[in-house]
Amino acid sequence: MRRLRLLDISLASVTTLVYLALYLPILLVFVLSFFSMRRGRVNWETFSLGWYAKLFDNEALGDALRNSLLVGGTAVAAAAVFATVAALHVNARPSSRSARILEYVIFLPFLLPPIITGLSLLIYFRETGIPRGIATIIVGHAVFVLAIIYRIVLTRLNVLSRSLVEAAHDLGASKFQTFRYIVLPNLRMPLLTAGILAFALSFDETMITLFLTGTDATLPVRLYAMMRVGFTPEINALITLILGFSIVLTVAVAFAWRRNAGLENNSATRI
Amino acid sequence: MTVGAGRSRPGIGDYLLWSVIALFIIVPLGCFLAYGFFSVVDNAIVYRPTVGNFAELLSNPSYRATFLRTIRMAFEVSAINLVLGYATAYFIWLRPPGMRNFLVIALAIPLLMSYIIKIYAMRGVLGTNGLLNSALMALGIVDEPVSALLFNLTAVRITLSVVLLPFMVLPIYIALERIPASVLHAASDLGANELQTFTGIILPLSLPGGIVGAMFTFVLASGDFLAPELVGGIEGFTYGRLIFSQFGLAFNWPLGAALSILLMCVALGVIFVARRLGNPRWQR
Repeated sequence: MRRLRLLDISLASVTTLVYLALYLPILLVFVLSFFSMRRGRVNWETFSLGWYAKLFDNEALGDALRNSLLVGGTAVAAAAVFATVAALHVNARPSSRSARILEYVIFLPFLLPPIITGLSLLIYFRETGIPRGIATIIVGHAVFVLAIIYRIVLTRLNVLSRSLVEAAHDLGASKFQTFRYIVLPNLRMPLLTAGILAFALSFDETMITLFLTGTDATLPVRLYAMMRVGFTPEINALITLILGFSIVLTVAVAFAWRRNAGLENNSATRI
Repeated sequence: MTVGAGRSRPGIGDYLLWSVIALFIIVPLGCFLAYGFFSVVDNAIVYRPTVGNFAELLSNPSYRATFLRTIRMAFEVSAINLVLGYATAYFIWLRPPGMRNFLVIALAIPLLMSYIIKIYAMRGVLGTNGLLNSALMALGIVDEPVSALLFNLTAVRITLSVVLLPFMVLPIYIALERIPASVLHAASDLGANELQTFTGIILPLSLPGGIVGAMFTFVLASGDFLAPELVGGIEGFTYGRLIFSQFGLAFNWPLGAALSILLMCVALGVIFVARRLGNPRWQR
């Protein structure tokens, strides 16, 4: 039995190490956004919000934030429309060749290394003579998050009771009316969940964006430029704010997911 | 169950859908593949098919060395993370349900955190004045700060390993979670001891999760250029950086595309092998 105890202890130590490795670096950045450091030690007497104040004077960062929100909002909205059309298409004829090819193709930008998605679009935009800028970044992000929205919407469509749709048809609803009054209301929660998740992904996306950015940078790209130049303490403050926003989004996704799962269980019992 | 009106003929929506997919996914990928076969003369792209880029890629010793070094690095990161990730997933799986959920959520949260922020945060840990050095000095392992922790390939290894850990732990945990309790009961009823249950049942049933995790880790680590750029210094020059540099100062897009095609082949090969291994015959 002693051998097993030893095994338990080593498993527990590895797990502790893994969680420390995941959270300590982030925690350090958080602490350093308020305190300064001397000789490898945090000096606890130096609390200040100075770096945060300095952030608000930085106009480039404000622009970058605005760009990020614009890109995220537009890309997610566009991707949501096409992901829904794609999911309806596949759901209507799941075993057709068109559906099977679509399933593969739609996941490519998400599964391939981001460097490849980014540079495919870069080359494409160059060949079509479209200058790099906000519009090209929006396309890149929309293509990137398409798969995740598609997957979530399709999952919901596949459990949606067919009798609901048939009843609508029998009662004389047109295809559009069926979609508008029966299918779409059922897609509200999955679209919200997928939308928040996709927005979070877009907000953090860096590698594809680096290929597609012109003079207008998104927040991660601006951050990357600041990091490359060297160490400026205000980066810590900025990172803390961005992480705060990410955590809010994560909580929102978790809540939406829960409600979504709840609805799915309900409709499953209804069938 | 289908929601649409059954076997209807494709409508305007379907044509629109396919044109968007073609316009923004298929054609760009096609352009990218084609570019690998073009060349550059006097800063202008020559649209005549050639395999010159691939010949250069194979014959240039520095490209070859960078490629092999990066593949090895990605492999090492996957191997280390497989061990660490398996131990962690197994430990989580043995916890009571409440604790288990907490640990899984705590593992998933970093996934939604910005990638470059996580890399940047690792700089604070690995630097000369960093957390790791302070810890080593406090423990008396070293007397002076070790500068060898940052701006080399080891820093890239450590950083990628940390950043990619959730991609390993989660699939293994999901695989463990899927093992039916009845199978474990049957094993103990038939007199298997803990070690036999582990090697005979738990390990073979959960290893496919580890293979999926290793696949994610390998693909993401081999193509990454942000971590090497931010913590790798000059010594930590990787294949991803080599590709990225072709689109900056070097301005050799066709060569960059050719280098990426090789990367894509490796990624697709790894995905293919992982699908075969991760989906063993007795589960197919």
